[in-house]
Amino acid sequence: MKNKLGIFTLFILFTLPVNAAQVIYKYQNLAENISHPWGIAVIDENNILFTELSGALRIIEDGVLNPEIISGVPDVLFAGQGGLSDIVLDPNFAINQKLYLSFSSPDQDKKTNTLEVISAKLHSKKLIEIKTIFKAAPSRDTAAHYGARMAFLKDGTLLITSGDGFNYREQAQYLDNHFGKIIRINTDGSIPSDNPFVNDEEALSDIWSYGHRNPQGIVVVDGVVYENEHGPMGGDELNVVEPSKNYGWPAITYGKDYSGATISPFAEKEGLEQPIKYWVPSIAPSGMVFYNGSLFPEWKNSLFISALVPGDVRRLDIEDYQSDQEEILFSDLGRIRDIEVSPDGSLILATDGPNGKLIRVVRAN
Amino acid sequence: MIKSAFFLFLSVLIATSLVILQETMSNLIWLSSVNMPVTFSIFIATYIDNLFMMNGGGEVPLILLVAIGMCFAFLVSKILLNWVEISKSFAYGLAGSAAILAIVLLMPLAFYNLDILAGGRSIAGKTILSLYGFISGYFFGASLSSKVES
Repeated sequence: MKNKLGIFTLFILFTLPVNAAQVIYKYQNLAENISHPWGIAVIDENNILFTELSGALRIIEDGVLNPEIISGVPDVLFAGQGGLSDIVLDPNFAINQKLYLSFSSPDQDKKTNTLEVISAKLHSKKLIEIKTIFKAAPSRDTAAHYGARMAFLKDGTLLITSGDGFNYREQAQYLDNHFGKIIRINTDGSIPSDNPFVNDEEALSDIWSYGHRNPQGIVVVDGVVYENEHGPMGGDELNVVEPSKNYGWPAITYGKDYSGATISPFAEKEGLEQPIKYWVPSIAPSGMVFYNGSLFPEWKNSLFISALVPGDVRRLDIEDYQSDQEEILFSDLGRIRDIEVSPDGSLILATDGPNGKLIRVVRAN
Repeated sequence: MIKSAFFLFLSVLIATSLVILQETMSNLIWLSSVNMPVTFSIFIATYIDNLFMMNGGGEVPLILLVAIGMCFAFLVSKILLNWVEISKSFAYGLAGSAAILAIVLLMPLAFYNLDILAGGRSIAGKTILSLYGFISGYFFGASLSSKVES
């Protein structure tokens, strides 16, 4: 009896601290029943802008969802994977209230569409001074693989990810179109003179890198550009992207086609860049953010990648990202479409779907 | 009846193998065009891999789609043959062609206009796949005719 009691006491002593250490966070709902939330832009810890794929730009003010939809957003094609996608704030947003929106834009004939990016000024729940600063060419007749994520480089130029349009995957290898590319432009839509292909007559001069499939996350950390992209069936990738480089899709891949067919029997080739990490089977990576907040010191210097399949967030130590070690977090929320960090160090998550949520992750204690 | 079912099975098998051949060729020819080191042994290995993976490793087993499509098309053809004077082989050839073309054209409707069979994206690809459907159907019709004669 004494032995049994001793074992039980030891069990309690050993398990309690472990469990307490595992759950260091808790969730706070910021908004519920929102239609396909896609992109989040944190103004400050209590004011958050977010997009709904169905075409609405909305705001959480002082921690509460404003039922009023911000007006002035252009018409979007809400179909398949298309719709109002990412939002980023200008680096000087506090002064100029400028923001950037990416979306799938229907062409006049309504048969084709393309990825478009606008700049606009947020003024009293209304977008004003709207200007198209990028339109992918040529248009596509599919509603998939737009990419559509954006991030600012240190020099104030804007990176835009442009997906391969699914049916146009081979075009990712050619420089005369925007399928499967990362684009770099100035915020007025002009093309920086130091872009890698400005002197190549056969290339579009706003292309910064190529050979991408469906880049769904991009973040700049100390000048280093991290990008994640959906592979086909398997072969999702995390890349460090550098100008002019070719990331290989679809000439090399770690995935297979949805039909089961081999897209390419090659996974590497000289001159084509390798991912720093890839996932087989797929996790369908979506948003990505670098964490350097104070609320979770144990997560400092981590990349957080939200994932749609099966639905969780992957935390990778940025100094050890090539290792197989990754922490799987928030796997009880379903498909997660985007992730951002608030200035107070809390994480903001957007869950995917017609009844999506915006959730703040804070410290449990 | 057993013989007819056997010929039907063989024609589905031929159609599936040819569709997979087109898928394999289409991908490898493009890879070769961008200077990837495609060799004959890579072609054989990829084709064999595709034979298995496209029938068990993808979203839908291709052979199942082909079987459903061809059964339906052959049934329609059999009914029409009661009224239309046309050679059996040719009639089933057309039916096989229509079945494969229908699969290629209808699949995108179920997947947001996405071509799941990459080898059928271009007009040339669709034409080749239709031809393969015709060959399979023609084989079925010819087999039935020879069975009747014997």
